[in-house]
Amino acid sequence: MIGISRSLYVALLLAVLVGLTSGCAAMAVKPWDRDLLAQKKMRFNPSPREAAIDEHVYFSKEASTGGQHVGGGGCGCN
Amino acid sequence: MQLTTPARRSALRARLSTAACVLLAAATPAVGHADDTTPTTQLELSSLLYGENQRTTIFEPAVRATRLFSNGQSVSAEIQVDAMTGASPSGAVATNQVQTTTSASGTTQSVQAGVLPTSYFQDVRGSLDADWSLPVGSLFTATSSVHVSKEKDYRSLGGSESFSLDLFQRLVTITAAASFNHDQVTPVGGTAIGLSDGTTMLNFRSNPKRVSSGMLGISRILTRRWMMGVSGTREIEKGYLTEPYKVVSVFSPINTPGEDAPPGTGSTTTLREKRPDLRTRISGSLSSVYHLSDDILYSSYRYYWDDWGVRSHTLDFKVRHDLPNHAFVQPHVRLYAQTAADFFRFELFQGDPLPAFASSDERLGPLRTATVGATYGFRIPNAPGDWAVRGEYIRQWGNGHPDYAPSVQRDINLFPGVNTGTLLVTYSIGF
Repeated sequence: MIGISRSLYVALLLAVLVGLTSGCAAMAVKPWDRDLLAQKKMRFNPSPREAAIDEHVYFSKEASTGGQHVGGGGCGCN
Repeated sequence: MQLTTPARRSALRARLSTAACVLLAAATPAVGHADDTTPTTQLELSSLLYGENQRTTIFEPAVRATRLFSNGQSVSAEIQVDAMTGASPSGAVATNQVQTTTSASGTTQSVQAGVLPTSYFQDVRGSLDADWSLPVGSLFTATSSVHVSKEKDYRSLGGSESFSLDLFQRLVTITAAASFNHDQVTPVGGTAIGLSDGTTMLNFRSNPKRVSSGMLGISRILTRRWMMGVSGTREIEKGYLTEPYKVVSVFSPINTPGEDAPPGTGSTTTLREKRPDLRTRISGSLSSVYHLSDDILYSSYRYYWDDWGVRSHTLDFKVRHDLPNHAFVQPHVRLYAQTAADFFRFELFQGDPLPAFASSDERLGPLRTATVGATYGFRIPNAPGDWAVRGEYIRQWGNGHPDYAPSVQRDINLFPGVNTGTLLVTYSIGF
């Protein structure tokens, strides 16, 4: 069964959302502890060019799109 | 009186140095970082070679230039060309007879029994993208983008706007974005009436397709080594969403008169496919970047659904392992599974009522995709710039033996797998 309950999925996302925004003061990672995070390779998307190419490739081969970005070029490939 | 030991004082000094570096880095634009010198112009060149086994081949060179300004603004422009050639599945089902297909340009192809019919095509797509990023204060950034692309039968014009806001000492970043595309589909030879035999045309002009989408995302630094993000997008497509050249087979149990085939072989004709003119897509994504003791683990999961009945899961993992002399290796695994659209059919049957919509496009079918590959990044000694070479293998497959296949097709795989190889070379330099 590939589908999951839509309401369950929304609830899970909300739980993660609340988790990400709560307790900021208590769990703060101070600026002097961000030496690793300041590196370029610690971005979610360290190679945007590669990610854009992948998005285009999979858009042309599968039915799904989106999730993390909007926009980009329309294409007659799908 | 000495209150701290020399070792402790040294550790404190190191931490203060790091803090100073991070604060300086925070003031630099997004493309500059603490471990980089900060060039004012950045040039990226890439070249993708994409090849499907016995199907499509694509060569895609691109160049992107980014200019950084002292106030934190950045402007970038990208030009890309896609040269495509090869064969694409026509939508017709494989049968136990020889089939002849005709492409949009009028080229005819004979397909052997048991082989999926394909249509030859050749096209060149050119695109131009431009972005302008403007920081407002130290915590807010607005980015505007425009896009235009053109190929033989498709034109796209669009723009997007995104805003990001850093909160709680930059622990949390909230991003919101919206985009709109106005596309035109102009099929070669005219637009056929959906679910007709393709001899009567609906029109000979362009068909509009409008795409509007919105995104909301939030990311957070969880620990010194770990960042996590969650985002969701909603996209509405309106207009001509049908693949203009795809067909759907109609199977009849009666042999074609005059054809030398064994009794009971049956025959097939084709109709042009037809899809709804409205589609709403929603997807949610979870992403994580984790710094292990030496390596970095990137992972993400996406759940997608739309009102055509497609549901999908996507898992993506990459591990970056640094090597000496600024080199690195990064293995990649991606797994994808989707359900079929409500109107997906491998074929229709003569005598059954015609459905409102039907498509045999395998990309709307019960599809699975697995990708494995790796990137090798390096610098050439005594030469400027960074190189990266990536090779990947993509395997797609599905259930090609549906319950409703007639007995003469039971031994034929209606959804043969597709093997694809890609090679991507990128070079970036700042000056």
